[in-house]
Amino acid sequence: MDDIRSFCIIAHIDHGKSTLADRLIQHCGAVTDREFRDQILDSMDIERERGITIKSNTVTLEYTARDGRTYRLNLIDTPGHVDFSHEVRRSLMSCEGALLLVDAAQGVEAQTVANLYLALEYDLEMVPVINKIDLPAADVERVKEEIEEDLGLDADDAVLCSAKTGDGIEEVLEAIIQRLPPPAGDPEAPLQALIFDAQYDPYRGVVLLVRVMEGSLRRGQKILLMHTGKEYDVEEVGLLQLKRVKTDELAAGMVGYVIAGVKAVSEIAVGDTITDVEAPADAPLPGYKEAKSVVFSSIYPMSTEEYPELIKALEKLKLNDAALTYEKDSSAALGFGFRCGFLGLLHLEVVQERLRREYDLSLILSAPSVRYRITLTDGQELWVDNPSLYPDPGSIDGAEEPYIKASVMMPERYVGAVMELCRDRRGENTTFSYLAVGRVELTSEMPLAEVIFDFYDRLKSVTQGYGSFDYEMIDYRPTDLVKVDILVNAEVVDALSQLVHRDKARARALHYCERLADTIPRQQFKIAIQGAVGGDIIARKTINAYRKDVTAKCYGGDISRKRKLLEKQKKGKKRMKMVGAVEIPQSAFVAVLKTDRD
Amino acid sequence: MPPIPTKSEIRNRYLLMKPSPSTGAGLYIHVPFCTSVCLYCDFAVTIAGEERRNAWAVGVVREAEMYADCGLTFDTIYLGGGTPSSVVPERLDSIFVGLRGQLEINEGAVCYLEANPEDVTLETTTLWRQLGVDVVSLGVQSFDDEALGFLGRQHSASVALAAVEILLAAGFHTVSVDLIYGLSGQTPGGWKAQLARAVSLGIDHLSCYQLTFHEDTLFGRRLAHGLIEQVPEREQAELFFLTHEVLADAGFEGYEVSNFAAATRHRSRHNQKYWDHTPYLGLGPSAHSLANGRRWWNRRKVRQWQTAVDSGRPPIEDEERPSREELLLEALMLGLRTTDGVDLNRICERHGIDLLATNAATIDRFCKSGHLHMDESRLRPTLTGLAIADTLARSFNL
Repeated sequence: MDDIRSFCIIAHIDHGKSTLADRLIQHCGAVTDREFRDQILDSMDIERERGITIKSNTVTLEYTARDGRTYRLNLIDTPGHVDFSHEVRRSLMSCEGALLLVDAAQGVEAQTVANLYLALEYDLEMVPVINKIDLPAADVERVKEEIEEDLGLDADDAVLCSAKTGDGIEEVLEAIIQRLPPPAGDPEAPLQALIFDAQYDPYRGVVLLVRVMEGSLRRGQKILLMHTGKEYDVEEVGLLQLKRVKTDELAAGMVGYVIAGVKAVSEIAVGDTITDVEAPADAPLPGYKEAKSVVFSSIYPMSTEEYPELIKALEKLKLNDAALTYEKDSSAALGFGFRCGFLGLLHLEVVQERLRREYDLSLILSAPSVRYRITLTDGQELWVDNPSLYPDPGSIDGAEEPYIKASVMMPERYVGAVMELCRDRRGENTTFSYLAVGRVELTSEMPLAEVIFDFYDRLKSVTQGYGSFDYEMIDYRPTDLVKVDILVNAEVVDALSQLVHRDKARARALHYCERLADTIPRQQFKIAIQGAVGGDIIARKTINAYRKDVTAKCYGGDISRKRKLLEKQKKGKKRMKMVGAVEIPQSAFVAVLKTDRD
Repeated sequence: MPPIPTKSEIRNRYLLMKPSPSTGAGLYIHVPFCTSVCLYCDFAVTIAGEERRNAWAVGVVREAEMYADCGLTFDTIYLGGGTPSSVVPERLDSIFVGLRGQLEINEGAVCYLEANPEDVTLETTTLWRQLGVDVVSLGVQSFDDEALGFLGRQHSASVALAAVEILLAAGFHTVSVDLIYGLSGQTPGGWKAQLARAVSLGIDHLSCYQLTFHEDTLFGRRLAHGLIEQVPEREQAELFFLTHEVLADAGFEGYEVSNFAAATRHRSRHNQKYWDHTPYLGLGPSAHSLANGRRWWNRRKVRQWQTAVDSGRPPIEDEERPSREELLLEALMLGLRTTDGVDLNRICERHGIDLLATNAATIDRFCKSGHLHMDESRLRPTLTGLAIADTLARSFNL
């Protein structure tokens, strides 16, 4: 067990985490140069493009060190966004140490601090690594100072490298084996293995990624998943060496995979503990938390003909994404669709992007909503996340909405702006404390609904990118809820209805009306766009009629060109959604959901 | 692109057509030459010397030869361009003689010529009359020198006025004037004055085109780069309605979106063929043809067209055979641009679809909104309907 090291890399976005991972993999010869492609671990297109990691990937490397011994290094990749923080935590639990990666030119950034604190919660040994020392703007001395002052780590131990040129990579590997502790654990003890991720393989079913804490896992073993209570037979265990490599067993301290006849990711829970049915452990590993949907939105296919494809696509996505939930929904304007639950807005975006790219579907999404608890006058209690199921206001006794505790870390100079943002978002009990000189952590209790709208974008903007954000659900609190309807020429567009706090109703309604007025093309009659609460009109915009669209010339005999133009317009019209006599393009539904980023 | 057909294939493919019982076919000749290129123009034009002009004239006749014995009888001949008036009368003569030698052209066929004011002299007009030109369409575009400069025209307002006078005196069947409106900065009052000026001259026909910015023109590029501005849609509509109102008051019948006749006999018989699917044959670069259920069009580049005809090959670029739906859409799109509208009985006979039954809701909606009205079996656009003819045509389920 002494020759095993399990670690992750934590870094601010763009500080070169994926590049460093690639270089470590290459140095250990796990991949030939021919097979090498940049950012091997970020396998989804969307991850590569946005430079973020959504699903964690893990690889076991074999490294022959300067002392002549061969070590097995488990590099556990961590996702980098607050929506996926439960996954981050599971990954951190599987490690003994972490490389804290800092860009030699940009220095310590907010996310570096946030991630460090998260890692310290799990008692991980830290090795600071200063990357990109090849950059002309690199300032190693300044960065070392920041590491000492802002992070409280000893910068003398920092390893210097350039993942891009490969400089210092061996020093990084040596630091891993010399400075990170080997795993503890007893191979003879009752089995406790942590499921830190799960992937779907169309041929083998679900592949569980595990870190064995105590005992051993082997083929043929009968296992019990302690939280779900389900039992399985282990079909195969092995190591993750970019491809799966079968082994006889996974003993305490090892990281690898288990295939055990699990059909869908939704059957199991990441964070669950595997034990042996014959000789079970007394208790599961600590820290388990169920992934819960907190953001809901309805997804409709642009064209109703695509509905069957949407069903298939969601079924397939669900195999690989346990956090996604969905049920049937329908809208008068948009037809049949699904009400889906997500971990957060990024999760929603990821699902939307995957449906679009991997399944080639064009979609319309309704405004995201949280789940409200409504008490009726007859004492009955309802959970409502879909505006179309909002009961008659006369029958409502009270409503409650979910609150989160938001934690924002930022340089001191942004405190004022962030406090104002929190106040604007109905934040309560806002407090702040100094983490280090010049660095502040602000916490605020806020309605989740205020966060899902555009909080993260606004935060990034007011802190110029230095603010990091994390949140946890705390409780439900009473709220003054209203349902805002959007009417187009007096007809309600059900897909645009939403539940909002009364104080925000007018602003939100106006925002929607403005966006629609900008995106609905003028038609040969006047179009009134209104926002309403019950019978009260609270916002209004008008789209004037056009009176002329005919082209001046239509002779010279080139009729085909003109006809083709009309045919194209006709086709475009087919993709429009009709609300009464008004044609609404898909772009209008998309635009209203976009927030102002000016 | 389809394989280039042989002459006999041309005959089989395009020309085994039943001559229309009531009207003859139209013959269009594209003159691809100008002395300078207007900044807004997207027609196939070039500036070329005498040698190429001569080769073109010979080529047109050679192309006509490919359609000899085609079974079509032509009762209109239209010389469009480009600048047909820049072709010297002797060359026009040789073309006419050549065409009459190859094609069946009615004795009384109406002959149209597009002319630029700077080409109109006592001498040329006399010769045009002698050649049998009946209708001259004069590209005045504006009676304002500043606007003419903006458009890149070669003539001045006074030259245009003189040209109109000469033409009127020469005794043509119809003298028509082309004007352009919708120039940036043009006020309703200014445009009204232009129209009044035109009307006061005593002309027989007016074509008023709103300035269109085609992508591939200098104007299109200037627009894309923000160097010039397009008149806002609201003002465009205002100018459009103003045009129709002012000219109606002056006794002109606005029988099509952009065309106005002082009397029905001055309507363009040739253009009417494009609007109601009467067969037409186009000769010269980029010219389009319709016959026998097919549309085909010539190579757009003069040199490519010339090379083909010189080697005895048809200069056809491509062809299509519009489907029933496509023909229907065309019939609506073209018919609803004219105040005659579309004859639903005739549509039923030709295309086997009763639009009144299949599109009752659409027709009803636009009749109620005042864009259409039924006149016996004819569905006619009102003036507000003409203005949105594209929307009207698009709204039908075919």
